[in-house]
Amino acid sequence: MPILVIRYVHWVERWNKRIGRMAMYLLFALMAVLLWGAISRAFWVPLRWTDQMGQFILAGYFMLGGAYALQMDSAVRMDVFYSNWSPRTRALVDAVTIFALLFYLGVLLWGGVESTAYALEYGERKSGLWRPYMAPVKIVMCVGIVMMLLQCTVFFIRDIATLRGREI
Amino acid sequence: MHYDMIALLMFGSILVMLMTGQRMFGIIGFIAVVAALALWGDRGGYDLAFAQSIKVIGWFPLLTLPMFIFMGYVLSESRLADDLYRMFHVWFGPVPGGLAIGTVLLMVLISAMNGLSVAGMAIGATIALPELLKRNYDKQMVTGVIQAGSSLGILVPPSVVLVLYALIARQSVSDLWLAGVVPGLLMAALFIAYIWIRCKLNPSLGPALDAAELAAVPKSEKYRLLLAGLLPFGIFLVMMVPFVTGYTRLVESSVIGAVASVLVALAKGRMTRAVLETATRQTLAISCMFLWIILAALAFGAVFDGLRAVDAIKGLFLDNLGLGRWEVLILMQLSFILMGTFLDDTAMLVIVAPLYVPLVKLLEFDLVWYGVLYTMTCQIAYMTPPFGYNLFLMRAMAPPEISLMDIYRSIVPFVAVMVLALAIVMMFPQLALWLPNALRH
Repeated sequence: MPILVIRYVHWVERWNKRIGRMAMYLLFALMAVLLWGAISRAFWVPLRWTDQMGQFILAGYFMLGGAYALQMDSAVRMDVFYSNWSPRTRALVDAVTIFALLFYLGVLLWGGVESTAYALEYGERKSGLWRPYMAPVKIVMCVGIVMMLLQCTVFFIRDIATLRGREI
Repeated sequence: MHYDMIALLMFGSILVMLMTGQRMFGIIGFIAVVAALALWGDRGGYDLAFAQSIKVIGWFPLLTLPMFIFMGYVLSESRLADDLYRMFHVWFGPVPGGLAIGTVLLMVLISAMNGLSVAGMAIGATIALPELLKRNYDKQMVTGVIQAGSSLGILVPPSVVLVLYALIARQSVSDLWLAGVVPGLLMAALFIAYIWIRCKLNPSLGPALDAAELAAVPKSEKYRLLLAGLLPFGIFLVMMVPFVTGYTRLVESSVIGAVASVLVALAKGRMTRAVLETATRQTLAISCMFLWIILAALAFGAVFDGLRAVDAIKGLFLDNLGLGRWEVLILMQLSFILMGTFLDDTAMLVIVAPLYVPLVKLLEFDLVWYGVLYTMTCQIAYMTPPFGYNLFLMRAMAPPEISLMDIYRSIVPFVAVMVLALAIVMMFPQLALWLPNALRH
């Protein structure tokens, strides 16, 4: 495998893991924000930003953590036949079917970019009392989708490497 | 091409492509976006998938999902359930089949503290299973009990499956959870009745513990263990009381539950770095798995909606076949169980719900009640070979002396009991609907 390709694989995996692990700890930020909202409503005044903020944090959690979750191989497969195949057969089939995944993520990104561009151009805000801007969360979602796309290209390269009998 | 044909084609291609073993969310999403682009590409077809993600992110109860998954992992990783098991051991040991009955009760308590069946399965297989085998319990009885018991995790609140159902059916999560309480307890009671009768007729299946051995446990120890048993109730209460009385909302209660489980683990000195790391990482992995598959399924469902596929199915059942609404419902549950035997459970959950929920609504059944039926059917599907989630977990966790055939055979009576419970809830919808109606505020 060309050295540049190998570097690319390691680079993507390293960054997806780093960002994913940061996203992983957003869980505690989420707890803190929601608890703060509940406490202040019970004792002082209801806050108008906590619910929305919680949802934005959750979006970041899911989207930025998605590629790391893929790395951990958490996505469910229907492994009726898959589990009985040799690693080579698996790599071969995966190397073909990964394009379905790439296509889906690509269309998702297309929609995401259009939607983000709209949000930026018109200063789209969420309805409600707090009325936050929508662009930041949409940008985060697009970044997450790009990370997953990159992770899928890495899967593809690793499958090719397996087929050639090389290790990366 | 006629719309019905397109719908059929989509469904068929998903089934075929899933067989390749590619990640499920990718395949469902792929079919959905290809269909959307082909049908409405220039009129927003490309945007359909992303629009669904925005919708999901804006759905407030989704915040409960990572919380309850985290709670389940803290609970099983920190081994908080060990004491619980010992409590049932000491208090139920002398009854015929008592340890098996205790295991069912243990599973009910664990189910009340987490939303999936994995935690119950892990605790059952690592604590209860070796202990029961040591006491010469029949191995088929034991594996059956653990699988059936842990499946209660998705019916007894909090339940992650019901959150996902609520997302698809647009129903209130709290109504669904309350609706799951009585059927869940009913199912547990039926399990217990079955075990007790079997062991009464044939004591060798579940021998009672030696009186001498139990006498060796001091009284003080017995009561200390009983106290340990109150712990899950404690967590359940701090979570549910503020919710039922209206101080907190569901999402906030889920946070309180997650924090409470961490505090309890800290108090017991079991919250190590390793536990925290595993629980946090697994929560991310499992939450993302659920979310991404739901995103794809919603895109798929949206295309199905656009095709008005449900009207076609309804037309087929009601007009062409001339069936009544109840007959259709029973057919749906049967097909659901049948699909569960060869389709992966997660796939079933997300493919079947967008298809069946609108049909149930057209037939004018209560969607909260159907959510309970749906979950009970999922439970059965989790256990039916050849592809059951619990079956695989059991195979992975069970000691070598338990063969795959043992595991397959062990579930037969329990699946029969579950079908009975399903039939009872179908006949008496009030079993599910009474509690949410009584507590609605």
